[in-house]
Amino acid sequence: MSKKDTFPFLETRRALPREVPVPIRVLDYREIHGDFANGGAGDQAARCIDCGNPYCSWGCPLHNRIPQWLKLVQQGRIEDAATLMHETNPLPEICGRICPQDRLCEGDCTLETGFDAVTIGAIERWTTDEALRRGWRPTLTAPATGKRVAIVGAGPAGLAAADGLARAGVQAHVYDRYEEIGGLLTFGIPPFKLDKAIVRTRRGVLEGMGVTFHLNTEIGRDTAFSTLLRDYDAVFVGTGAYTFVDGALPGQDSTGVLPALPFLIANARRILGNHNSQAALPQMVGKRVIVLGGGDTAMDCVRTAIRMDAESVTCVYRRDEVNMPGSRREVKYARDEGVQFLFNRQPLEIIVDGNDVCGVRLIETALVTDGSGRASPQIILGSEQTLDADVVILAFGFRASPPHWCDEFGIARDASGRLIVGADGRLPLQTSNPHVFAGGDAVRGADLVVRAVLDGREAAKSMLQHLQLALLQRGSDVLAPA
Amino acid sequence: MTPRPIRGLYDAAFEHDSCGFGLIANIDGRASTWLVDQAFAALAKMSHRGGINADGVTGDGCGILLYRPDVWLRGLAREAGIAVGARYAAGVVFVDRDPLRAAVQQKALERCLREEGTRPRGWRDVPVDDGACGPLGSATRPCVRQIFVDAADGADEAQFERALFRARRRARTELADDETFYTVSLSAATIVYKAMAAPGHLREVFPDLQRADLAACAATFHQRFSTNTLPNWRLAQPFRLLAHNGEINTIRANRTWMASRANKWKSPLVEFSDLGALVSPDGSDSQSLDNMLEVLLAGGIDLLAAMRILIPPAYGAQENIDEDLEAFYEYYALHTEPWDGPAGLVICDGRYAACTLDRNGLRPARWARSADGHIIAASEAGLWDVSDEHIVAKGQLGPGEMLGVDLVEHALLDSKAIDRINAARAPFKRWLRDGVAYLESHLIDPGLAAEPFAPDVLARYQKQFALTREERDVVLKALAEDEAEATGSMGDDTPIAVMSRQSRSLYDYFRQAFAQVTNPPIDPLRERLVMSLVTQIGQEGNVFDLSPENARQLMLTSPVLSQRKLRQVLALTEYAERQRKFDLYHDEHDGLQRALLTLCRDVEDAVRGGVVVVLLSDRHSTPGLLPIHALLATGAVHAHLLKCQLRSDCNILVETGNMRDAHHCACLIGFGATAVYPYLAYQTLYDMNRRGELRGREGEAPSEIGRSYRRGIRKGLLKILSKMGISTIAGYRGAGLFEIVGLAAEVVDLCFPGTPSRIGGATFADIESEYRAQLAAARDPNYALPAGGLMKALPDGEFHMYNPAVVGALQAAVRTGDVALYRQYADAVNTRAPSALRDLLALNPQSSPIKIDNVESAAAILKRFDSAGMSLGALSPEAHEALAIAMNRLGARSNSGEGGEDPARYGTERSSKIKQVASGRFGVTPTYLVNAEVLQIKIAQGAKPGEGGQLPGHKVNALIARLRYAKPGIGLISPPPHHDIYSIEDLAQLIFDLREVNPTALISVKLVAHAGVGTIAAGVVKAGADLITISGHDGGTGASPWSSIKYAGVPWELGLAETHQTLVRNGLRERVIVQTDGGMKTGLDVVKAAILGADSFGFGTAPMVALGCKYLRICHLNSCATGIATQNDVLRRKHFLGAPEMAENFFRFVAADVREILATLGARTVAEIVGRTELLRQIEGVTVKQREVDLAPLLETGVRDSGFEIRKETSCGARIPSGELALRIAADTAQHVADRKSGHFHYAIANTDRAIGARLSGELSRRYGADGAAHAPLTLEFRGSAGQSFAAFAAAGMHLILHGEANDGVGKGMAGGRIVVRPAATARYASQDTTIVGNTCLYGATGGEFYAAGRAGERFGVRNSGALAVVEGVGDHGCEYMTGGTVVVLGRTGLNFGAGMTGGFAYVLDLERQFVDRYNHELVDIHRISLEGMENHLQHLRGLLRSHTDLTGSAWAAKLLADFRDVLHKFWLVKPKAASLDALSDELRRAA
Repeated sequence: MSKKDTFPFLETRRALPREVPVPIRVLDYREIHGDFANGGAGDQAARCIDCGNPYCSWGCPLHNRIPQWLKLVQQGRIEDAATLMHETNPLPEICGRICPQDRLCEGDCTLETGFDAVTIGAIERWTTDEALRRGWRPTLTAPATGKRVAIVGAGPAGLAAADGLARAGVQAHVYDRYEEIGGLLTFGIPPFKLDKAIVRTRRGVLEGMGVTFHLNTEIGRDTAFSTLLRDYDAVFVGTGAYTFVDGALPGQDSTGVLPALPFLIANARRILGNHNSQAALPQMVGKRVIVLGGGDTAMDCVRTAIRMDAESVTCVYRRDEVNMPGSRREVKYARDEGVQFLFNRQPLEIIVDGNDVCGVRLIETALVTDGSGRASPQIILGSEQTLDADVVILAFGFRASPPHWCDEFGIARDASGRLIVGADGRLPLQTSNPHVFAGGDAVRGADLVVRAVLDGREAAKSMLQHLQLALLQRGSDVLAPA
Repeated sequence: MTPRPIRGLYDAAFEHDSCGFGLIANIDGRASTWLVDQAFAALAKMSHRGGINADGVTGDGCGILLYRPDVWLRGLAREAGIAVGARYAAGVVFVDRDPLRAAVQQKALERCLREEGTRPRGWRDVPVDDGACGPLGSATRPCVRQIFVDAADGADEAQFERALFRARRRARTELADDETFYTVSLSAATIVYKAMAAPGHLREVFPDLQRADLAACAATFHQRFSTNTLPNWRLAQPFRLLAHNGEINTIRANRTWMASRANKWKSPLVEFSDLGALVSPDGSDSQSLDNMLEVLLAGGIDLLAAMRILIPPAYGAQENIDEDLEAFYEYYALHTEPWDGPAGLVICDGRYAACTLDRNGLRPARWARSADGHIIAASEAGLWDVSDEHIVAKGQLGPGEMLGVDLVEHALLDSKAIDRINAARAPFKRWLRDGVAYLESHLIDPGLAAEPFAPDVLARYQKQFALTREERDVVLKALAEDEAEATGSMGDDTPIAVMSRQSRSLYDYFRQAFAQVTNPPIDPLRERLVMSLVTQIGQEGNVFDLSPENARQLMLTSPVLSQRKLRQVLALTEYAERQRKFDLYHDEHDGLQRALLTLCRDVEDAVRGGVVVVLLSDRHSTPGLLPIHALLATGAVHAHLLKCQLRSDCNILVETGNMRDAHHCACLIGFGATAVYPYLAYQTLYDMNRRGELRGREGEAPSEIGRSYRRGIRKGLLKILSKMGISTIAGYRGAGLFEIVGLAAEVVDLCFPGTPSRIGGATFADIESEYRAQLAAARDPNYALPAGGLMKALPDGEFHMYNPAVVGALQAAVRTGDVALYRQYADAVNTRAPSALRDLLALNPQSSPIKIDNVESAAAILKRFDSAGMSLGALSPEAHEALAIAMNRLGARSNSGEGGEDPARYGTERSSKIKQVASGRFGVTPTYLVNAEVLQIKIAQGAKPGEGGQLPGHKVNALIARLRYAKPGIGLISPPPHHDIYSIEDLAQLIFDLREVNPTALISVKLVAHAGVGTIAAGVVKAGADLITISGHDGGTGASPWSSIKYAGVPWELGLAETHQTLVRNGLRERVIVQTDGGMKTGLDVVKAAILGADSFGFGTAPMVALGCKYLRICHLNSCATGIATQNDVLRRKHFLGAPEMAENFFRFVAADVREILATLGARTVAEIVGRTELLRQIEGVTVKQREVDLAPLLETGVRDSGFEIRKETSCGARIPSGELALRIAADTAQHVADRKSGHFHYAIANTDRAIGARLSGELSRRYGADGAAHAPLTLEFRGSAGQSFAAFAAAGMHLILHGEANDGVGKGMAGGRIVVRPAATARYASQDTTIVGNTCLYGATGGEFYAAGRAGERFGVRNSGALAVVEGVGDHGCEYMTGGTVVVLGRTGLNFGAGMTGGFAYVLDLERQFVDRYNHELVDIHRISLEGMENHLQHLRGLLRSHTDLTGSAWAAKLLADFRDVLHKFWLVKPKAASLDALSDELRRAA
């Protein structure tokens, strides 16, 4: 076949930006990916075959216009690409870094079968970084409306909502109890996945758009929720999911056993140098660390532990590798960095020596499928074993942590504490208090950042509609049954 | 003859006809009985050009017009006791069979005659022999009466004829509702007898015609083939003046515009104002043309001018045309539009008998002149009992040529003589030079260019007019960057506009009309020269008023304006005071409908007040006002002005933001716009350029981007016109050639009256509410341009029926074979929000369920499944074969598509049982044809009806090139028309040809759904097809312009129901298997299709998805990542993961699904539910628009009254039997064939012996494959005039020698052997001046040799890909699309030689030094054959001349050979530009 008959996706292999070699990257917390080589993003973007069914867009919770911006990147129109990315996603550089693309857009990419997917995430990240570096900023065209909205929680949902409101000429005031914006983006996700400078840059972008941040301000403690309801035209609640899932393991209260999130937050603060959090962080140097759980948080923990110079780090998970919820990519990085994985093991108890942890008793499991849903692990009797450990981190997941003032203001929750939104004649993401909207982990329980962003974005639309700033939606709604 | 009221989807307005015709005259005016006998004999020899009705006997009608058979007429009068004077007229009149009613009718006519000053002398009965009519013919026979009328005293013949004309017209107006009254003819010069007779039995029907005293000096005759079977004696031809073979494609425009200018046309000779409609608004197109001609003649224009005004040649294409003659055509074009379409006409009035062809020369017209002063011109050669030694000249009319006999001056007039007469009628050239102004871009003040919009203004307009990003980035960008429409692939799987849950462009409700079967599309690429977009601005004048004033017009090269041109037009002093702008915005409280009515009144007032330029503009939006869509405004204003007869006094210019692509433009012009200015498209393009999204053309200012865009639109417009077979924009303007799907009657009646719209839909209120939303969106700065999603399945865009979930579910099901997964898939499809029309139809069981065991087996159901035609080329061999294997294993059938099939697959399970015959004839060899159970003639394809196919060059690898007889790497285009099907009788001929080659195959014809497809289908059944496929608009394609995928064809539900109903009505349903295809996915789809009338079901996309297709829509790029639609080795080898089992699983699932549904319906077989529409009921839609849809016409059950029985897999009762000669040859050669023995046979042949040789070729190919008789040649020698398709599909080793002449289609599809055609030994004429073979010879030939000692007709060697040919002259379009072989032309060539030629080469003798102007320069170049360096060519040419001389005995070739050194430098070598001279020489050397 002649040259013109071949196509980029056949000629160019999928390639991620340069990965920092393991021995170097585990020495600190910096991001493990460098930039694409010159023109690399364009070449990689050119691999996109621009399908009639853009499976990537369908696979993305935000329905990002991926093929369209890949084409712009290919043409070198970085700023235009950034503009287009921001149309559906207020935080593309963040999603580009931390989304489990292999389960979303890239997993659905047509080329994933037989060719390896287009490096969508890396391009998204690189492009936004590059555009921002060049000084590109979102253009605001809407005139000021005079409306004001308060946002509780500066996590991804809150930031996304703030972005949407600011673009529509609404003043967004974001309150957060921490000293920096980002919520878990800043404090939960380790810097080797998301450099904190990135979040700071985004803060600057949002402030440039007119968003006001009220940090170190906890609603219900420093400012009353009623004040928000009084002073603002609407309120968005994006308080996240911080309540860790209790495995109720015997011995879990002993020294050396840590819930994942406090561990990660403490470490983040330590790195940021914001607080003296050393106290909450156990020393890891030379220690044997076991992380229980198989999600992305577990991966963050194991890789953090490696960087804290643990002697050994083992991840224990009750299902097999295929059924692990964490991103494949993260598992690979963890393995590269020296983490051991033990699959099909369920923890039975924390073994304690005095008040200190000294190991975990495990039992083997087998996966049983009944033909519906995920395979469930069943214990194999008589297969107990013990694994020695100096530190055990519990990463069984997190539940929504509804603010205590919810009930007082008629914001309904479900049994597991999640705020109830939508339905019953309410707008999407509107709570049972019509002036209050909510989204992200506070509504979903622990979930992906990208879904929190989606909620924030959609909540902003609902709030605009609530404030009668938005038009009737086009199309179907106009023609929907009368 | 009482027409039944329209029920269901059938409408008599859709009927078509076509036919054979002839003219015979004595130049010296000597009347003879011999001449009359000849006319009848000739008519009888054309019965194969007519249709036979459902009763198997009755023809579609035939007739004869006789010129001044005075003795006979006086005899008839005398015997009836009627005394006639010196100047008298005789007429034939159909009257009611009820004598009382008849008396009233006759009285009315008599009174009118008297009032016009003539003197009716008496009536006589015309005896009719019912037995000769056939049952249907006699059952519907009117009472036939004859009237004799004397002229007023002192009246000359012209005055007398005008009086008769007025009397006839007045009687017609008076008896307007009286369907049974019809004046066949009433003239002093001519008389017409016509009947619904069995073909060839006209004379037996009328004993009058058998009288010995019947003598005439001129006659015309006609044999009709109509698509319908509801007999109608009136529509038999000739009409009063003319008989027509072909179809007037512009008929709607012609009728409309005539109606609008009726009050302008005033002749001092005759008063028209009280005669009612000058041109009948219904009846057949030919009848309307006859009306029109009558009007022109009555008004004082003579026949030679009138015919040339009505059906002008492509005068713009002729380089050397006389300037006065060109000015004659241009002058009249200012006040009339051409009656355009395939047309062969014979005409006879009191002065002339003439024959003329349309500009495309699509109908054959052969003529011959005898030594004793007779001339015959007819659809075929060989109709005449005059032996060759008495013939002094023979020929054929070329495109746009006319031949006439002056019956008064006794002169024969050829085209040139007629041109001379016309050119000299007035100083047209001077009038035009003084009167006509041309607006040429480069003369226009650049200061008038558009200034860019500010970004926020642009955004507001874009949103208000619902521009999407997809439209901007795909549609607009391609138009401006490539000067062509964007290309796409796969089908349209989105809901039609009315079903959509989104707001859709109003233009989306309009589906372009396209020609299929009864008339051909034009080839807008290769035959562009016949087309024109020239548009004029000014007031029309009175055609009868020959004056320079009438030439005061402004001419534009196209109707798409730039801002500069628009401003220039508006600035012209002539129109400065006579123009007015109407803003297309209205007060919300008024409502859209009232706003439109107000607009119409305002425009009417303005035009009455003298306004000539009406500018409808949405350019200046006013806050608070709602927009009126430009198309609604244009349609309503145009319709209103027509009604007021004001339309011809003004021009409608449309300045609009919502026109973006060629379809939009076509809608605006089709509904009346004179010219359009799409300002928002320009502004958007400038903006894209400013932002670097769009490159300007090298060296051009960015402001010139609009010019590129206009070029793209113009190409698109030409394509849309060409689909309907229309050549000029004047014939398209106002013709409304669309079907509307999904608009309410109130909208259609006000804005688009007369346009087919059959299921209701969106009302003014619905449309208004959508625009209100768009306007609100425009004002909202937060609201970005919507993404679109009509092409790609975007998550926030339009719904796609093959969305990722559906694709995934189907693939999961077929890979695992898990029926539960199929169920999930089917449920997802069946419960989607209503998207296709069938989704609004639910099953409506009429009886209780039965046990599934009682339902016919899955195997029986699988037999009804075909895969849709997908070519090897579009698909990879792996995918193509997997599909064939799957279908064969299932006992179903796969369809080869149009790319041929590797002979290695014949006879194996990899072979496709259905072999397609498409317009490119790629790989259509006799072996291909005999290796088929079904031969499918693809007339149209759902994704792009009316257009040809294309296979991009990068998909043409060595294998594809070998199978298609083409060159690797060079793109292949199938022409839009089949060059052997320009009308319904041509289709009948091709069916006949294919049956000769493969007598056991079922012949199938693939059509696309559109209003009127049922009538076409009826014609197709009458043409002898066994199977008809009705494809929906949503069919797929490997590569096609997006606008074709989106805007042509309608849902199959409509087309299928219409077809079923029409066939049942016509008593034809049981003769044919009806298939439908288009987006069928589940058993429920199949069951609904069966209930709507389908016996058989085609699947295209679904089995491809089963094989791994992911709906990537990149088929045209050759980069299909699933290895299906690609020829790339790596992709095919490594990435095609499909297995036949996957496709098998799909079909098994669907068959099992069908069984289950049948059980719930209580039906045991599919056959039981076919056409039982009571099993469906309409359910309510989910949107307001959907609820306005009325599907009752689809569910019409009243037409099932004939109680038909669906015929199963048996062959068809309508088969036209093989000719006697073909059978004799078969018998004579049988033993030789069996023994592989050589032989030599002699036969006499006549024009009724058609496709001679094809049967033998089929037999040879079946037995010996491509070898044919190569090892033991069989020589067949014939004497006489061969019928059509002589030596079609000839196989190797067949040597056919014809002494005489042949008609059209000689050697079409020839694969080997040799054809020699030479004049009879006694011939006196010079062979190089004489036509010896007809049109489209060697069409699609792949090999063999052809020598003809004479000229060939038009389109010689179209798509030749391997044959060697020597002829002594060719008509227009020679060697079009040729991809291989060698053609030698030893004489004059017509225009457009070598258009689209990408392979092979030709030697052309150019004695007149005109060839440079006659060949198409696009793809070929020409070289002198020099003595140096071209020795190979010299030798080759000389060798061919020698062979030609030896084989044909041509004196001309012998002379050239003798003078070879002297004539050598007068030969051109014509070769594709892509082929180097050296490579060609090498090839010759190798071949030598």
